[in-house]
Amino acid sequence: MRVTQSMLTNNLLSNLSSSYEKMAKLQEQVSSQKKFSKPSDNPVAAMMGMGYRTNLNQIGQYQSNIAEATNWIDSTDDAISEAVSAMQRIRELTVQASNGTYEGEQLKNVAEEIKQLKEHLITLGDTQIGGKYIFNGQDTNVRPSSVKDGNGNTVYGTGDINLEVFSGISLKINTDGSKIFGDALAAGGSIDQTIDALENGGDVSGTLAGLDATINTFLGMQAQVGARQNRIELMTDRLKQQEVFATEILSKNEDVDIEKAIMDLTTQESIHSAALSIGAKIMQPSLLDFLR
Amino acid sequence: MISTFMGLETAKRGLSTSQGALYTTGNNVANANTLGYSRQRVNLVQTSGFPTVGLNSPRVAGQIGTGVAAETVQRIRDSFLDAQFRTQSNKIGFCGAMSESLSKMEGIMNEPTDSGLAATMEKFWNSLQGLTANTENSGAREVVASTGVMVADTLNYYYKSLTSVQTDIGDQINVKANEINPLISSIDQLNQQISKVEPHGYIPNDLYDKRDVLVDQLSQLVSIKVNNVIPTDYGRSSDVAAGLYNIELMQEEGSSYVPPINLVSVNQTGMVGTSKVEVSYDKTTGMVDGVKFGSKTMTDYKFSGELSGLINNFGYKKDDGTIGGAYPDMLKKLDNMTTAFVNEFNAIHKQGYALGDSDASTLDFFEIEPGKSAAQSIKVNSEIVKDPSKIAAGAKSGGASGDNENAKLLADLKKKAFSEYSTKDQNSKELTGSFDTYYSGIIGKLGVDSQSAQKNLSNSVVLATSVNQNRDSVSSVSLDEEMTDMIRFQQAYNASARMMTMMDEMLDKIINGMGTVGR
Repeated sequence: MRVTQSMLTNNLLSNLSSSYEKMAKLQEQVSSQKKFSKPSDNPVAAMMGMGYRTNLNQIGQYQSNIAEATNWIDSTDDAISEAVSAMQRIRELTVQASNGTYEGEQLKNVAEEIKQLKEHLITLGDTQIGGKYIFNGQDTNVRPSSVKDGNGNTVYGTGDINLEVFSGISLKINTDGSKIFGDALAAGGSIDQTIDALENGGDVSGTLAGLDATINTFLGMQAQVGARQNRIELMTDRLKQQEVFATEILSKNEDVDIEKAIMDLTTQESIHSAALSIGAKIMQPSLLDFLR
Repeated sequence: MISTFMGLETAKRGLSTSQGALYTTGNNVANANTLGYSRQRVNLVQTSGFPTVGLNSPRVAGQIGTGVAAETVQRIRDSFLDAQFRTQSNKIGFCGAMSESLSKMEGIMNEPTDSGLAATMEKFWNSLQGLTANTENSGAREVVASTGVMVADTLNYYYKSLTSVQTDIGDQINVKANEINPLISSIDQLNQQISKVEPHGYIPNDLYDKRDVLVDQLSQLVSIKVNNVIPTDYGRSSDVAAGLYNIELMQEEGSSYVPPINLVSVNQTGMVGTSKVEVSYDKTTGMVDGVKFGSKTMTDYKFSGELSGLINNFGYKKDDGTIGGAYPDMLKKLDNMTTAFVNEFNAIHKQGYALGDSDASTLDFFEIEPGKSAAQSIKVNSEIVKDPSKIAAGAKSGGASGDNENAKLLADLKKKAFSEYSTKDQNSKELTGSFDTYYSGIIGKLGVDSQSAQKNLSNSVVLATSVNQNRDSVSSVSLDEEMTDMIRFQQAYNASARMMTMMDEMLDKIINGMGTVGR
C-alpha cells in the first residue's frame, strides 16, 4: 500500500481523537462513580437501574411507614399496660374493701380512689400521638371522651386505619377503643357497680368477677397488640434485609469499579502520550530533510 | 537521409517534456494539502519513430526514436473507491443525524438520575404514602400537592424541551434542503464547464476534483449513485476523459427508484437538467408530508443521508395519515401515558372524600387542557394547590381525619397495570404494564435506539476512514515521491540540456570546423 504524509497525519489525528474519547469516558466514570451516564451507554443496565431505584425508594418509604405503625402499636401497648395496672389497683382496693375491715369513711375514700382510677382509664382512652387520638377509629381528630351517648357512655369512633408496610401488605395500626375501654368505662359497668356499692356501704365482693372479666378483656387486647408488634418486628427485619440487597444490586448494576476505572485511565493516559510522541516522530522527517 | 538538426528537436522535446513533468510535480507539491486534490501524473509517450512508413521514406537502417511527448496530464483516482466512500459517507450522514438527535433526547429525559420523571414520580408516591400515615396533617397534604406540581412540571419540561429540539431539527431540515440545491446546481455547472473542455481533448483535472468534492458532500445529505456519461457527439475527447456526471437518487439499500430519479440528469445526447429538492409540510400537523425531487414527491424517506435522518427524527406524515418519527413518537408515548395516569388518578380521586366532607370529591387532582397535549398542559388543580385539605384521602362519607383508604388507592396507581385501570377504555391500546414499567420501557427503548445509532455511526466512520485511507493511498500527494520525481525529471532535463550542448558542439564542428582541409 502506498502511504503518504497526509495519510499518516489523518491517521494520527483520528487515533488521537479516539484516544481522547476513551479518556473522557473513563474520566467521567471516575468522577461520577457511575458506569453509565446515559441510557444509550448501557440500555439494559439503565432500565434495570430504574427498577432497582424504585425498589429501594419503596423500601425506604415502607420503613418510614413501619416506623409510624410501630409508634401507634407501641403507644397502644403502653396505654393498655397502664390500663391493666389501673384495673389491678381497682381490684386490689375492691378486695381490701370486701374484707369488711374498713369503716364507712374509709370505704368512701376507696370509692374516691377508684373514681380517680376510672378517670385515668378515660384519659388512657384519649391517648394521642402526634395530635391523633389512637383509640377513636378513623376520627383521629376527635377526643373520644367528648362524645357521649344517652346513657353517658363514651362513643368511640370506628373504622380501621391501615398502612402499607410492604408491597400489597397492609397492617392495621389502630385498635378499636370501644373493644378495650367500652366494658370498663360503661355506665353501670363493673367499675361503676363497685363505686356504687362502696358509696352505699354495700357488699363489693360480688363485683370482683366483673372486674376480673374487664381485666381479661384488657389482657386479651394486649395479647392481640403484642402479636401485631411481633409482626411489625418481622417486617422491619425483612425490610432491612431487602434494603441491603436492593442497595447492593443497585450498586452492582451501576457503580463503577473504581480501582479498575483508575487503572484503565492510567493505562489510557500512557497510551495517549505514547501516541503523541510517536506522532511527533513520524510527522517530522521526509525526503526533504535528507536532500541538501 | 536524416536531418542534421533532428537531434536538436529530440533534445528539445526532452527538455519541454521534463519541464512539463516538473511543473506537474510542482503543482502536486503545492496542492499537497488541498481538499479533494488528486495527484496528477504526466503520461509520457514516445513520439513516432523516424522514418515513418511510406513510399518515399528514406532508406535507413531502422526507425530512430524522435523523443518524448507529454500525452496527457491525468489525475490518479479510483472511482470504485469514490463509490465506496460515498456509501459510507451517506450512512454517516444518516446515523449522525439520528444519534445526535437521540442523544439530545436522552439529555432531556435525563434518566436515570435523581431529577428525571422516574425520580419525581417516586417522590410523588412517597408523598402519597406519607399522606396515608398522616391523613389529617396539613403538612403531609401540602407535600402531596407540591410533589404533584413537580410531576406536572417535569412533564411540562419534557414536552417543552422535546418540542423545542424538534423545532431546531425542523430548521435543520430546511438548511440541509437548501444545501442540496446549490450542490446540485454547482455540479451541473461543473458538468457544463467540463463539457466545454473535454471535446477539445483536454483533461480538466481541477474541475474533476472540484466536482468530486461536491459529490462527496452531496452523498452525505442523500443517497446517490454517480454514472459517468460520455455523450455520443462529444468532439475529440481524450481516452482518459471522465465525462459528465449523471447523479441518481438511490434508496438506502442501494437500489434505484422506479422510475429512476435523477438529481443531475445527463444522457447520451448531453445534459438534460437538474431536479430541485423541496421539503413540504402538512398544514395541520406541521410535520413533513413529502420531499419533492423535481416533479416527483417522495413520501417513503428511504433516500437515507442526513436529510432523511433529520426527517425521521422531526416527524413525518405517513401515507395512512399517522405521524411517524422519533420525536413525535416520544411525545405521543408521554402523552398516552400521562393521559391514562391522569384520568385514572382523577377517577380514583373523585371517588374519595376530602377532609370532613360528606359528599364525594368533585375535584380533578390533575387538570389537562382539552385540545392540548397532556404532557404539555398537565397541572395540579389550583384549588388543591390553594387548599390541600381538598385532597380526597378518605374513602367513606364524612372524610374522617384517619380515613386513608383512598390515599392508598392513589398511591397504588403507580404500580397498577394499565389493563386494570377503570378508565382503560379511554386509553391508547399501546400502553402495557404499569406506569413505572411502561416509562422505564420507553427509556430502555430510547437507550437501545440511541446506542444502535451511535454504533452504526461509529461503524460507518471506521469504514469511511478505511475507505478514505485507500483513497488517499491512491490519490494523495506523497512528498517523498514528489521529491524523487523532481530529482528524476530534473536529471532528465539536465541530460536533455547536455544533449543539446553536444548537438551544438557537433553542429559547431560542421559549420566552423569543416571545409578547411589542409589549411
